[in-house]
Amino acid sequence: MSTGTALLDPARSRLLNTFGLFAVAAVLLVAFLDQILYRDLPCPLCILQRVGFCGVGLGLVLNLRFGARPSHYAVAILSAMAGALVSVRQVLLHIVPGTGSYGDALLGLHFYSWALLLYVAVIGGCAVLLLFDRQFAMPSPDARPAGTLAMAALVLMAALTFGNGVSTVLECGAGLCSDDPAGYELLPARPATP
Amino acid sequence: MMSLPFFGLFAGMALAIAGWRGAAMLAWALSMTVLALLFRQHATDALNIVL
Repeated sequence: MSTGTALLDPARSRLLNTFGLFAVAAVLLVAFLDQILYRDLPCPLCILQRVGFCGVGLGLVLNLRFGARPSHYAVAILSAMAGALVSVRQVLLHIVPGTGSYGDALLGLHFYSWALLLYVAVIGGCAVLLLFDRQFAMPSPDARPAGTLAMAALVLMAALTFGNGVSTVLECGAGLCSDDPAGYELLPARPATP
Repeated sequence: MMSLPFFGLFAGMALAIAGWRGAAMLAWALSMTVLALLFRQHATDALNIVL
């Protein structure tokens, strides 16, 4: 029997998961905009870090579609751990002064450093949400994403995941990506500017 | 090949939205496995750091 107050009931949990999904989508959107507007092509490790965020998104999508469950938070946490592993690798590659960096910096940190911080935040946030048992009350059998806000978050996340897949195909073709990509393999090269 | 985990996770989201929870979880597990394999392919050099 749960002894906690209903600080986080299923409806509030769903709302929080909706906002969380928008936040994860915003991370992917910023990376995508940087790629498109500033031609900052993602490296292989950067691409794998994006996969981690999409995995976190899937955990939240499951929460929105089927109601909050510990296993859905586990999906988000394990995805964040996988992404964090890749981020740690990239941070350590460049942590020694003089070993260079990859890509642009945003507010003083490179994207892989931001990714590591955000993964830690995701893991911590999911762990905190797991403290509230009342959100795991059984939803009705026909539970569906509540309202247009949740559905918008679902569609946005799915579209960004698919878009990243298409972008990766364009950049890397059918094989592994170059460690230091200079352009899209499947797009005609841009003429050099004088 | 590096796009596989994205399409796997997208399939997972589509399956979740369609109400197929188990299949969505399976798609996630497969995608994470592919992610691990791709990471192994790209993390071949020893890091030049002292721990």
